[in-house]
Amino acid sequence: MLGAQLALNAVALGAAYALVAIGFVLVLNATTAVNFAHGESVVAGGFAAVALTGALAMLLPAGNAIPGIVLLPGVLLLTALLGLAIAALAYLPIRNRPPVSVFVTTIAFGIIVTNGLNAAFGAAPRAAPALLGTGTIEFLGVTASRQSLAIIATAVVLIGALAFVLQRTQLGRQFRACAQDPEMARALGIRLTRITLLAFALGTAFAGAAGLLLAHQFFVTPSDGAGLILKAYIAVVIGGWGSLRGATIGAMLIAFFEVGVASISSQPLAEGLLYVAVLLVLLVRPDGIFGEPQRLRA
Amino acid sequence: MNPSTLTRHRWPLVAGAGALVIYALFFASSYDQRILTLSGIYVIMVLGYQFIFGHAGALSLAQGAFFGVGAYVTGILASKFGTGFVLTFPLSVAGASMLALIVAVPVLRLASHYFALATLALSQLLLLIAVNWEAVTGGANGLPGVPPISIGDWQATRGLPLLLFVWGLAVVAMLIARWQLRPARVAAFTVMRDTPLAVPAFGIDPGLLRLRAFLLSAAFGGAAGALFVHTNRVVSPETLGFGVMITCLTMTVVGGRFGILGAVIGALLLTHLPEWFRGLDEYYLVAVGVLLLAMVVFAPDGLASFFKFSGSTHTPISTPAQPGSTEYAPPVASGRPVLEASNMSRRYGGVQALDGVDLALGAGEIVGLIGPNGAGKTTLANIITGIARADTGNIRSAGLDLARATPTAIARHGVARTFQTPQLPDGLTVREAVETAAANAGDTANVRGAATAAEAIATCDLSDIADTRCGTLPHGLRRRVEIARALAGGPHLLVLDEPAAGLAPEEQAEIAQILRTLAGSGLAILVIDHNLEFLQPLATRLACLDAGRLIADGPRDDVLANDAVQAAYFGLVMPTSTSGVSA
Amino acid sequence: MSALPRVFIVATALLATLTAAAAEPLRIPVLVPITGFLALEGTSQRNGAELALRGSGVDFDVNDTATSPEIAVNAFERALTSGRARDDVIAVVAPMLGTQMLALIPLADEFNVPMVTVSGTARITELGSANVFRFFPGDVVVKAAHARYAVEELGVKRPAVIFQTTAYGQSGRAELDRNLTALGRPAVFAEGLDVSVKDMLPVLSKVRESGADALLLHLHSGPTALVVRQARAMGLDIPIIAGSAMHQPETAALLAPSELAGVCAESGASPISESDPATRAFADAYRTAFDREPDAFALGQYDGVQMLLAAVRAGAKSAADIRAYLASRRYRGLAMTYASDGKGNMAHSAVILCYSGDSRVPVIVKRYENLTGIL
Repeated sequence: MLGAQLALNAVALGAAYALVAIGFVLVLNATTAVNFAHGESVVAGGFAAVALTGALAMLLPAGNAIPGIVLLPGVLLLTALLGLAIAALAYLPIRNRPPVSVFVTTIAFGIIVTNGLNAAFGAAPRAAPALLGTGTIEFLGVTASRQSLAIIATAVVLIGALAFVLQRTQLGRQFRACAQDPEMARALGIRLTRITLLAFALGTAFAGAAGLLLAHQFFVTPSDGAGLILKAYIAVVIGGWGSLRGATIGAMLIAFFEVGVASISSQPLAEGLLYVAVLLVLLVRPDGIFGEPQRLRA
Repeated sequence: MNPSTLTRHRWPLVAGAGALVIYALFFASSYDQRILTLSGIYVIMVLGYQFIFGHAGALSLAQGAFFGVGAYVTGILASKFGTGFVLTFPLSVAGASMLALIVAVPVLRLASHYFALATLALSQLLLLIAVNWEAVTGGANGLPGVPPISIGDWQATRGLPLLLFVWGLAVVAMLIARWQLRPARVAAFTVMRDTPLAVPAFGIDPGLLRLRAFLLSAAFGGAAGALFVHTNRVVSPETLGFGVMITCLTMTVVGGRFGILGAVIGALLLTHLPEWFRGLDEYYLVAVGVLLLAMVVFAPDGLASFFKFSGSTHTPISTPAQPGSTEYAPPVASGRPVLEASNMSRRYGGVQALDGVDLALGAGEIVGLIGPNGAGKTTLANIITGIARADTGNIRSAGLDLARATPTAIARHGVARTFQTPQLPDGLTVREAVETAAANAGDTANVRGAATAAEAIATCDLSDIADTRCGTLPHGLRRRVEIARALAGGPHLLVLDEPAAGLAPEEQAEIAQILRTLAGSGLAILVIDHNLEFLQPLATRLACLDAGRLIADGPRDDVLANDAVQAAYFGLVMPTSTSGVSA
Repeated sequence: MSALPRVFIVATALLATLTAAAAEPLRIPVLVPITGFLALEGTSQRNGAELALRGSGVDFDVNDTATSPEIAVNAFERALTSGRARDDVIAVVAPMLGTQMLALIPLADEFNVPMVTVSGTARITELGSANVFRFFPGDVVVKAAHARYAVEELGVKRPAVIFQTTAYGQSGRAELDRNLTALGRPAVFAEGLDVSVKDMLPVLSKVRESGADALLLHLHSGPTALVVRQARAMGLDIPIIAGSAMHQPETAALLAPSELAGVCAESGASPISESDPATRAFADAYRTAFDREPDAFALGQYDGVQMLLAAVRAGAKSAADIRAYLASRRYRGLAMTYASDGKGNMAHSAVILCYSGDSRVPVIVKRYENLTGIL
């Protein structure tokens, strides 16, 4: 039964990492921008939930627990605004410059968010309310917390929705056109700036949703962003740069090591084996699991 | 280079450097000197990082790991065994370089973010070892009791002696960087970054160049890490942490990805920035972040770009070369073909791109390779130049087995090519681009460096625009620059992929004239095109591909009269309107 | 303390303030981590020092040491060599991060400035420095209490240990191992965790498999709460005796009171649990000043700085005077009585506190006074 329990936990953790990764992938697909402030956006989502809980608690009679789903619209709105700020300040002014500049502007943005939250909220870990309520559900000897199931369900819905948007809608085609050839996209009448802002707002709102969910399950502290972007980056690259399916598989792979491998070895060993596995995957598949091989066309 | 611009831009730098030296020597407190010392250490690390991140254009996330390895080698030896600086410092540099060498083989071939992830995984692995191997590394607490730098009786604990020692080494690092980055190598790095496709065409060995950059970055990183440990007197996992890597990346982008000035500005500024804002308590890092963001938005190519002097460091060659004095004969007995290919086949997925093709070319021959789109023409060009491999068949040129050699080795052997879309680095001038190809030519070629380059430029009638940057050239001229680049390697076989595409008739005529001259001096030329107006008067022989099969090969008129050719080729386009065929 | 000496102390303090104001005021720089992963504990440290120093007539300014030795040394050099004269600095409030202390010790010895800290790392008092003064029971003390409570009071026979792979965690784990072995109950299971670990099921399932009858933690705040919550959720109902991070009100705030049932923790003190008027006055002043609940790190640092101020009141004017005072005197602080063991370990007592299951305020169930026998 332990095996089934571990598998469930691994899937829940992988879903959480996938939620962190997909907003990053969305921005990547629409702009080619690598947004290293994405981890901090997740943290900001967590703290937005904490702050909204505090604000609502003052309005409601004492003792009323506020479910996370009530906070979700507010969190999405606040983090979408944060995404617009990242786009406007850290990306749009240097969009035509070396992409590495964007690494540093977004890192700088992350520093601002981390330390702003540290100064405003303090360094203590905080918890956000559960999405639909706490408690567990037992099924065939496996215990699932309602929050774990909420994380898995949200991940499935959001990843599905994003895949649909990217592959089947006009907006998705516009995203891809902007990423692949901005000049051509502009010539075709696509409003590049608007599409960019939309991508950042959506991607960062995804991060906000992830932040709300993770902040209940695993708590949130201002300095969590670096660890989250590290996991997301590993997931996105190992899966195949820019591939939504790849990022999801990558997230599951990390979770498999952190839960599965750790349960039969030890946590530090499992972490080391994850990095060894990453190196081995790249040895066999230099373009990630689902990456397009970068063929030279002469 | 305009001398007045030079002085105008340089004096603030000289004044600033002078003021800094006076400040450091006479006015700086022990604390100020410490921050300057740390800056000097970071200068060394950033100079190293510029090799791989700037020049090689690879997002390495291992610079922090090299720094940490240097730190731990010194830390462990010095604190546990009391080993002196004279031994620990070289060992730190060697340790980091060894690590780079070991991981280079599997890691360096990876592209962009895959390379970044591999170097990141390596760094995280080392951090994990440092934290968990407590017996050797002291675990998360690290190892205290690292002695100060001492050489003989002389010791530098803190303050001015340490400051001067570290900056002395920083200057040595700058000299090494300058020596390593001579103009020809900088140009080779530019080619590798801007036009990865054309790297072999320049005769450049990308693997070797990347390896050099990676090893240098590691050596500099290890040196910086060793010095860092002596200034903090402990070694701890923070030296291997991702924070060091982020610091290094930030310094490099803020200061500049190329050049000593960029490294100095980035390191000085980013070490001092947090110190200046300390008065803001919890908010000081917010201020640092805001300023960092502003600086990169304001100067995306680094603050050093404001002090750019004139672009080219090249001195123009005074003696104008005469075109056409080079003989492009193969280094084999005359009469033997320059290219012999037999039974070449290649399959891509479900498509048979080439199917049992035989082809031979003799010295001084111009052969036109025709065929409809998708017939396999470019595949054949790629196989000849080693970019693609044939599934079956033999292919040799002047004694070299082209099926086994690397693209660079093939180019250096004297098999040159041009590309359907010209592949020229925007940032280099025509002369720099052609000279780069000459400088990297193989030993067998009849090449005399800059003189050969000048001659190639003259042959292609580019002397007037030799100092123009390739990025600003119109399409027609780019094609000629590509031919000049090919000639600079002293080839005996030239493969041109649609050289007339997109050109006006008079431009086509110019190219045809150049090719005729070259064939006259012994060069074997294979022209891939389906523009018969261009090919008909030029080629002595035509070969026609259709669906991967060679359906005709012979004198021009015979081939054009061939029924199969008529069906395959002219079935697409009416013979009367051949001028519009070029795609 | 009777009323008379207190009046006397207030009077001398006032007098000292007045005389000090005439000359250049003395200085105690506060160098603590207020950003990065130790910011929670570091902020408590700062607040404790600040509460003691406010209005004391001694100048202080706070400098962040973040998480690396490099920045700690920067802050130290800045405080001592930049701007005002070095002679004004009579002592330094030094960071609780052990790695940073290890880097600062050679400097403190060179400048001959005493450092007052609440770092628990065993090593910092083992390097022979005369300038380290630790006002929080070191790992040698608290881990003895931790192990003894588990074995002697709870009758634990098969303890399991989970520790953090940080400076704090590894140092504590070594002492815990030593004490458990000495008590004849070596750990049946031990594993280190990175601070970023999210799912605790793998490690907890191994604890269960090992047949452990108690779980001893030595983790930071967030991971402590995660382990407690997940252990309870999976029905692992063995006693949990946590490290000092558990006693921090911020840690308890992450858990429901019911999840805290059967959880105990070691600490140097628990100011929110105490009922004596002096500690309650401290806690109230702390809440007013910082809008937070006080913890043992804040109280330890408060006591440490109060001892420095007592030295000043007793006439200490230089770093050497302070050092001599700290090394030789006995000081009765709010958390405990402090005296040096000759290596700079000032705190020799620890407490064990437990949660009842219906409150987040723990009850002190056992006091281990004078564990080192110094007092």
